[in-house]
Amino acid sequence: MIKARHLTKFYNRQKAVNDVSLDVEKGQIFGLLGPNAAGKTTLIRMLCGIIDSSQGDVQINDQSIAKARSNFGYVAQHFGQYEELSVWENLKFYAQMYDVTDETVLYALLQRYALIAFKDRMAGDLSGGYQRRLALACALAHDPDVLFLDEPTAGIDPVTRKLLWDDFYLLSASGKTLFVTTHYMEEAQRCHQLAFMAAGSVIARGTPETIKESLGDVLIYSVQIAYLPELHEVLNQLPGMVLINQFGEELRIVVKPGLKIDVIEAAISSIIKTPFALKLSQANLEDVFIALTQDEAV
Amino acid sequence: MIITAIVKKELLQLRRDPRLIALIIVMPLVLLILFGVALKLEPSNVKMAFVDEDQSIFSNQIKTSLWSDGYFDLYDVSSKQQIIEEIRSGRAKAGLYIGSDFSSLLTENQQPHIVFFTDGTMPSLTTAMKYNSASATDENVTSNMYFSDADADNVVIAQEPFIMDTEILFNPDEKETWFFLPGVIGVLIMQIALILTGITVVREREKNTLEQLLVTPMSKTSFIIGKLLPYVFIGLLDFYFILGVGWSLFDLPQPSSHLLLFLLSFIYVAVMISLGLLISLVSKTQQQAMFIAIFIIVPSILLSGFIFPLEAIPDSVRFLCYGIPFTYFVEIIRGLLIKQTLFVDLLPAYAALTGFVIVFVTGSIYKFRQTL
Repeated sequence: MIKARHLTKFYNRQKAVNDVSLDVEKGQIFGLLGPNAAGKTTLIRMLCGIIDSSQGDVQINDQSIAKARSNFGYVAQHFGQYEELSVWENLKFYAQMYDVTDETVLYALLQRYALIAFKDRMAGDLSGGYQRRLALACALAHDPDVLFLDEPTAGIDPVTRKLLWDDFYLLSASGKTLFVTTHYMEEAQRCHQLAFMAAGSVIARGTPETIKESLGDVLIYSVQIAYLPELHEVLNQLPGMVLINQFGEELRIVVKPGLKIDVIEAAISSIIKTPFALKLSQANLEDVFIALTQDEAV
Repeated sequence: MIITAIVKKELLQLRRDPRLIALIIVMPLVLLILFGVALKLEPSNVKMAFVDEDQSIFSNQIKTSLWSDGYFDLYDVSSKQQIIEEIRSGRAKAGLYIGSDFSSLLTENQQPHIVFFTDGTMPSLTTAMKYNSASATDENVTSNMYFSDADADNVVIAQEPFIMDTEILFNPDEKETWFFLPGVIGVLIMQIALILTGITVVREREKNTLEQLLVTPMSKTSFIIGKLLPYVFIGLLDFYFILGVGWSLFDLPQPSSHLLLFLLSFIYVAVMISLGLLISLVSKTQQQAMFIAIFIIVPSILLSGFIFPLEAIPDSVRFLCYGIPFTYFVEIIRGLLIKQTLFVDLLPAYAALTGFVIVFVTGSIYKFRQTL
């Protein structure tokens, strides 16, 4: 459905995207994951033809972007609908840009995104969540096969986020292909296919499950301890330590199998005087994400 | 402390916009030099249509004196009516008519009259021309024209050998409103159009709506035409609104042809709207667009013949005046409202304005990138 070959983008002499090739099959939700400034937005904009690539080629439905424009929709990272137009006027405008005049389709979209009540409200007066819904409705007005979503849930409350993702599944189930950029791990977990991007390059790809394996032969321990810089320092000096990752009260430790649990426990005990329970854990995407981007940063 | 912080922040922001800084420095510099060179009140080489039906040594003396002064650029035409038509068409700004009986009346001491015609649509030029036409009645000219009459009584002061009548054409009362108002309409439309469309694309860029628009299948041409049409319509309404106020409040004359006036308003509004759009496409920020608009408006007013006669602008920079759309507007609107100029004589100006529309629209289509 989406086929990109050797996409590269230079800004001045800086490489923002470096030789990225990818294939997205019909009906898939493809997640592009990466930290800020990894080149996600540049890549998605190249895929949509909003910025020219310095090298490489994109095909959507086996057509060049210029020819495929009616086949895809795009939701930009920042709200890009007209604030001075009402919800309905915006939707109608975007539909007309694709020669869609059937208002029943548009009403169905308003219904789908719970925008009926705000139909006549100015888009600028909508909350962030509803602006996002409007942007989605506008991108779907012409019933495209492919949908590009640049961080569609950034800054959105968890309930709306869940609703939007439920909707993405419905869209995918109806045969639409979704290309989503995100830096939320739980969202990445929901994608059929993932690509990890860091510093302009794709550094890992596959299903969420295969990606987790990309950490290689490691053991992951988890312990409930709040952040203590001196503890991190001590642990970091252990031979075979791969990654220390703090999630709130949870400390996650990724180590090579050679590093024994009692050595880790001893190191923790040297700092923490209260009892603690160090447990073996499963790799999650966040571990991989941080491990991979940390490698890249080094 | 807070004020210092805000001042610093503003200066930093300004520094980060090198194009704006360039405009702030370059614009006044260019305009100052341009105006310093171009703006003169004293015209030279003013075209004068000349009819000498007398063809005598005396009439020739008048002609020579006018010519040698360097102020008027004389050329012969066939009749008195032709002088008026030359001025009406804009080919001449002044005229001189010497009748066939000039020398015979002169030799009989009957004080013949010659007629000096001026274009009354530009009062400042009219005044200057009247002043400069004095060389026609200069002593050097008239000194040979006294013929003593043996029968006459001796007089202390001899009467002038001939009299030059001045006929101010098209605006005999030298009404300033007739001179200024038609041009003012053009200035207002220029301001409204450039400001209105000058920000239209930049705003889309700044508000991120352009990005969302660029993924749609719209073509460059449909974007440009779609942007132009509504503003051309609004500009036209505004044009007639201003004109209507001019007619009802200031006794502005009716045009020689309403159709031609409509044609002018349409083409002129289209020129200004498409120029505004082009400005919007080359600007990166709304501030830049505003600056460029002002950069165009100020010289347009000063170098178009609207206030200062084109004849007063030195030849070295005169060509710039013809690169200003407003110059043609001023010529046409004065022709239509005041001089009743024929369409055929206004045709080149109409063609020039149409040319500007083509250049600006093509430029806009070329300049509009379908990528960010």
